[in-house]
Amino acid sequence: MTPDMKVTIAGVEFDNPLLTASGCCGYGEELAQFYPLSKLGGLVTKSITLEPRLGHPPPRTAETASGMLNAIGLANVGIDAFIRDKLPFLAKQKTRIIVNVAGATIDEYVEVSRRLDDIAALDMIELNISCPNVDQGGIQFGSDPKLTEKVVAAVRAVFARPLIVKLSPNVTSIADIASAAETGGADAFTVMNSVIGTAVDIDTRRPRLTNNKGGLTGPAIKPIALAMVDAVHNRSRLPIIGVGGISDWRDAVEFFLCGATAVQIGTALFVEPEAPLKIVRDLKDYLRENKLKSINDLIGRLEKY
Amino acid sequence: MTRMKCETVRLTERRDLRNDYFSFTFAPFSAADKCRPGQFVHLKLPVGEVYFRRAFSVASVDTAKAELELIVKVVGRGTRILAALRRGDSTNLLGPLGQPFKPPRKRERVVLVAGGIGFPPLLFLAQKLITRGHDPKHITFFYGGRSRSDIIERNRIRKLGVNLRIVTEDGTLGEQGLVTDPVKVALQDHGDNCRLFACGPEGMLKAVNELGLTLNVPGQLSLEAPMPCGIGVCLGCVVPLTAGGYARVCCDGPVFEIGEVAL
Repeated sequence: MTPDMKVTIAGVEFDNPLLTASGCCGYGEELAQFYPLSKLGGLVTKSITLEPRLGHPPPRTAETASGMLNAIGLANVGIDAFIRDKLPFLAKQKTRIIVNVAGATIDEYVEVSRRLDDIAALDMIELNISCPNVDQGGIQFGSDPKLTEKVVAAVRAVFARPLIVKLSPNVTSIADIASAAETGGADAFTVMNSVIGTAVDIDTRRPRLTNNKGGLTGPAIKPIALAMVDAVHNRSRLPIIGVGGISDWRDAVEFFLCGATAVQIGTALFVEPEAPLKIVRDLKDYLRENKLKSINDLIGRLEKY
Repeated sequence: MTRMKCETVRLTERRDLRNDYFSFTFAPFSAADKCRPGQFVHLKLPVGEVYFRRAFSVASVDTAKAELELIVKVVGRGTRILAALRRGDSTNLLGPLGQPFKPPRKRERVVLVAGGIGFPPLLFLAQKLITRGHDPKHITFFYGGRSRSDIIERNRIRKLGVNLRIVTEDGTLGEQGLVTDPVKVALQDHGDNCRLFACGPEGMLKAVNELGLTLNVPGQLSLEAPMPCGIGVCLGCVVPLTAGGYARVCCDGPVFEIGEVAL
């Protein structure tokens, strides 16, 4: 018997629980060169802001032990070009489309979200209140519970469909931020964004990123992400999409056990564009071998000491 | 629609060239016949010390044997791991990726400028042009390096019948000086009907770009950048454009028109 891979988040059904993470798959066109996007549970776009953003000057990335630092700087085409040039392609893909929304001010989050509200091609939005790489907005909204509640509530007022809030690990209590987002009207959480870090070129004595610091991603951050998923799962009953350093099915199972209903693949896509598909195949084998009927039988089933 | 895929290949031949230079032949590479000069492959290294794939320009292909040749200089951790591969070892390849050189017109004079390990894509270009019927006498291959030890595969270039001009900074082989010095003279002599192709260190590319612009010679430059993804999604490998904004080296390049990139 084929195990059931379907999961439901905020009323949206996904064929499988493997999504691609924001900033790791552009607007989908490049990945579609490798496989039909219908094989993914869903795709999360690059962060979209009101105006186009060029991003930071290079170097924007640095390889580190078991991971990478990045400070891209929310480079994106802006909401107008996104709707005009990128959405038509995404609308044709038989997968769930989640648009990641970022902004420097509450008004910007609201305006971008409002523009997306009546677009049938997308299924959900993911609010990026956790980007560590921009001077304004991003993480400032995600590290203060009051601001979190305020921005989420403001977006909630203009966006009627499922609203995911992407949380930052760079906070004192991710559970408090999650609670604030829930009070503001969030339907689900993505846990987590990247971990602030830096790296130094000892010959030039300069940081290896022009932004001086960046966000750490890749296998190096998986233990942190798991602890964050667990913390949010303990606090809130809202569904969690787990992300951070997942490369294979074993990693994914750890996230499901800690309470994630779905997972996102980010940095691993850079090394293996086909990683999500392989993880789905391997997860099915794992469920079969363990005589589990559904992926849902794993979610939150961590046996704690 | 043909889909891109990552595939496992074996190292079928390795030649240790001088110093830290190596030639690696991988097979079977199903996309060998799709490779165009200037394109690259993204190679996954078999051990976990480095996380990302590494980008290498295609140096040659044998389509009948589905072989791909890379010529590599050991410069860091990734290339050191690569240099430890033995015949029969397998690794994973993705490619060909990126925009190739635009071929010149049949009667155009072609000036190739290679600096150090920028040499492989120009070797591939010279081979391809000659196979396609370009008169080798109309191709000048300028090859520069710091010293004699930076100049590899001389006989292979000579056999193509092109006009090979070697330039080393210390004069231990060929003419002494910077490779761009004789390039300038050649471009002035050729006048119109000439096309430049260059790959090498940033300083050399800057000088070639400048020569192309001031002497009004069109052409293309192949750039290098650290690339996490190689397929255009991570936006990590960007270079600034003269027209403003950034371009991705991996998929908008690595080959750019002279004057296009703010070097």
